[in-house]
Amino acid sequence: MSNELRSVTELDRLIHEPARLLIVTILSTVESADFLFLQRETDLTKGNLSAHLSRLEEAGYVKIEKTFKGKLPLTVCKLTSAGKKSLTQYRQQLQDFMNRTQ
Amino acid sequence: MQSNLSDVEQRVKRYWYTDGIGELTGGGMFILLGIYFAAQQYYGENSLFSGLLQGGLVILLIGGMAIGRWLIKALKSRLTYPRTGYVEYRVDRQNSNRRRVIVAVVAALVAAFSLVFAERVVSFLNLTLALTGILVGAILIFLQGRGSGLERFYVLGGMSIVLGIALSLSGLPDGYGLGLFYGLMGFAYIISGGMVLRRYLQENPLPAEGERE
Repeated sequence: MSNELRSVTELDRLIHEPARLLIVTILSTVESADFLFLQRETDLTKGNLSAHLSRLEEAGYVKIEKTFKGKLPLTVCKLTSAGKKSLTQYRQQLQDFMNRTQ
Repeated sequence: MQSNLSDVEQRVKRYWYTDGIGELTGGGMFILLGIYFAAQQYYGENSLFSGLLQGGLVILLIGGMAIGRWLIKALKSRLTYPRTGYVEYRVDRQNSNRRRVIVAVVAALVAAFSLVFAERVVSFLNLTLALTGILVGAILIFLQGRGSGLERFYVLGGMSIVLGIALSLSGLPDGYGLGLFYGLMGFAYIISGGMVLRRYLQENPLPAEGERE
């Protein structure tokens, strides 16, 4: 297997999935965001978003807190330091791959 | 789904300006400043009220910013977060310190220029007004416009520069000129923010109880 192909197989598959990559990218830009904001920005259904967030939470990439803002229930999501590190590493790996194949 | 991650990041950063609430509050601040400068000119330099006003500028600025922040938070909690979601932005201390340094350096250069050179060179201009317009315009264009990528801040920045220079040629005393400048800029900000808020509320009706989370 060539080095280029090997570097692709080493990509973090949890982040590589487009919907999760989008969620993690959004959360990397802010301190935290709620479920409604993520749903609007990603165009995912509630069930889909919920499932992706659960997987990211299980991996320790995202921290989810259920809270209240006044009377409104809020599900606030925050990228953990492990999540930030994985995203940075993923982008670097992808960039390296692109540089090598160009 | 958006494929360009940089676009996603830019859009998320721009979300702060999506409702125009920041501009409405900023416009209110500008109008208060306008009233302050006009009142100072009206009461004259040697009156007791003017002395009180001079000491009150710092209180007006610090108090206005604190009230403005509280107002923005309260309005966003009531109007924006239930409609399009809650976002808490990261405070980039390094970046905000850099911004403060840039603004301070530009302000210092402008002040030094007006004190040392400009008064002799362009005596027909009211420099305080012209430089205020240029400084406010530069802040709007380079910090708000470039930072958010929103065209309306470039328009407001351009308006500030044109208004500052136009008023500097009007022959108005400093206080009334500054009062008019900040007053008109405040109204422009409020009109801009009001239009953005109106469109935002039309495009984003409040979700029904069951639709939330």
